[in-house]
Amino acid sequence: MARALLLRVARYPPLPTSLVLSHSQPRLLPLPPLRRHAPSPHRFVPLALPASSVSTSSDAPSDGGGGRKGGEDDAGTGTGGCVDYLGMSDEELMEQCEMGTFKASGPGGQHRNKRESAVRLKHRPTGIIAQAVEDRSQHMNRASALSRLRTLIALKVRRPINLEDYTPPVELLQILPLKSTVRGKDVGPQIGPNNSKFSPGMQALLDLLFAVEGSVSDAAKLLGLSTGALSRLILSDDSLRTAANELRALKGLKPLR
Amino acid sequence: MATLSLSSRPLTFLRPNRTKPPLHRLLRHKPLASSSASALTPPTPRADPSPTPDPDPTPLFLRSASHPVPAAALASFRRRAAALVPPSAPHLHRHLRWLLVDAAADPSSDPALLRAPLDDLEAMWTRHVRERRPFQYVVGNEHWRDLVVAVREGVLIPRPETEAVVDMIRKVEGFADGWWADLGTGSGAIAVAVARELGHEGRVFAVDVSEVAVEVATLNVQRYGVQGKVEIRHGSWFEPLEDVKGKLMGVISNPPYIPTDDLPGLQPEVGWHEPKLALDGGKEGLEHLLHLCEGLSSVLKPGGFFVFETNGNKQSEFLVDLISTKWNSSFHNVEAVLDFAEIKRFVTGYRR
Ligand SMILES: C[S@@+](CC[C@H](N)C(=O)[O-])C[C@H]1O[C@@H](n2cnc3c(N)ncnc32)[C@H](O)[C@@H]1O
Repeated sequence: MARALLLRVARYPPLPTSLVLSHSQPRLLPLPPLRRHAPSPHRFVPLALPASSVSTSSDAPSDGGGGRKGGEDDAGTGTGGCVDYLGMSDEELMEQCEMGTFKASGPGGQHRNKRESAVRLKHRPTGIIAQAVEDRSQHMNRASALSRLRTLIALKVRRPINLEDYTPPVELLQILPLKSTVRGKDVGPQIGPNNSKFSPGMQALLDLLFAVEGSVSDAAKLLGLSTGALSRLILSDDSLRTAANELRALKGLKPLR
Repeated sequence: MATLSLSSRPLTFLRPNRTKPPLHRLLRHKPLASSSASALTPPTPRADPSPTPDPDPTPLFLRSASHPVPAAALASFRRRAAALVPPSAPHLHRHLRWLLVDAAADPSSDPALLRAPLDDLEAMWTRHVRERRPFQYVVGNEHWRDLVVAVREGVLIPRPETEAVVDMIRKVEGFADGWWADLGTGSGAIAVAVARELGHEGRVFAVDVSEVAVEVATLNVQRYGVQGKVEIRHGSWFEPLEDVKGKLMGVISNPPYIPTDDLPGLQPEVGWHEPKLALDGGKEGLEHLLHLCEGLSSVLKPGGFFVFETNGNKQSEFLVDLISTKWNSSFHNVEAVLDFAEIKRFVTGYRR
């Protein structure tokens, strides 16, 4: 007898779109509804993901679910929007997430032949949702969703910056081209969009761009680059370009192309 | 990926013991039969329940890509195969994609180089869609954690719920250099995943009473190069472990736990195709679990850990209750642990 999957829709309350970015991504696949799991003291939350688990589901749909500044409702993050989520380990980040999966009717385990390994992570402090459906194992989908979450956090969570005496953080220096005059020799080779360390740099870059009201030339000065060089960096990654342009649109500036 | 490469050992032991049946090609020179039997309305079970083995028992993804097929022919196979998928079973489209991933070394080349003749792929696909043969048996593997585990008829397809046991035991103090037992190892999925995380002194004793399981587990252990850490032992539960009694840091088991009375109601992929020996837990499904509980204290060393997978809530609650009352003097911190679907799927605890 076919065992129909009972799918419960995760009803996350719509989040305020007051954040600077309303990020919408094309859904490449119809999204199956996922069940939401409330955190529970007994539930086993796997704490470690393989270091090698680079996302192989580049076409995994992910939806933003809006976003707002971090630190509102999670214990230990009482500093408003300044939390460095991307500096957290996978384990720490995972602990801030609710994981949604398919909930099959019936007892599961040995009774069932798997149909889905979809995983949806909701990052409680920011409300950001990342999911992955394309991998063949639960474990890999979780790793993909987590790496997707890091990118979404970088794109959506803005942290205030003091422009008075601004020095770019090292993760930002690392994604700058070598010709930047503020980039010391010890920073190492330039990190590109395919590297997992790109996200923290991208977040810091968007923070800066936000602080200078979207002006690429102002940001470029602070980063020791020409306006053209910084534009090229921003345009080199689709999601970075989209986020930068959304941020500029809010300030009434033309999109970079 | 290095882990996917064929081990240098010949795979002859994967050959089924029974004599080869005639090639079973359902659809030679015919379009795929239109599916009157959809994946959601199963046909009545076949009179002959013994599965027809594939012509080649080697898992598809481990065969050599030696069958050139024109890109147009592959594309038309894809269309015909997709047409068999009922709209109500969209997951089968995913399976079709995965079948082609496993079958083609480079799907974009023309001709494409396939690991099986196109006719065989057609037959495989039809058996999946119409006979409800599990996709994992069709392609001969299951992706489980970060592993690609070889499987075949006669051994249980590892379940996603079970992935969590590896994370649980990894948190046990002294995990990496301990000796562990995986009782009822099946495909060896747990044993391999654990072995890959162990330190120099760590060992896994992987036990199964099924010969097929021993063969498949051996293959998986070799493919992942952990034969130095995993010792596969053929026998029933604790019997092959006499020499390590009292020395184990932990016992892991996902024993058969489905109540015998529930077996007829299983979904066809499971009930018609997976081995009863791996599923049938006897009356109330507790027969093996109780046997395991009884033997635990003699194999674990003091402070040792155990985790059992169970049929869920009731079974777990019952076992937690039993162990913490009847065997309270031997165990502590006995608790039920939820799986990702919030079912109390596991029972864990420590030997005093
Ligand atoms: C549910 S399967 C679990 C397989 C594997 N550990 C996994 O999680 O995918 C149960 C396994 O127990 C084995 N088994 C059944 N009775 C046994 C016995 N008396 N002694 C040892 N193993 C047994 C079966 O052959 C089967 O491989």
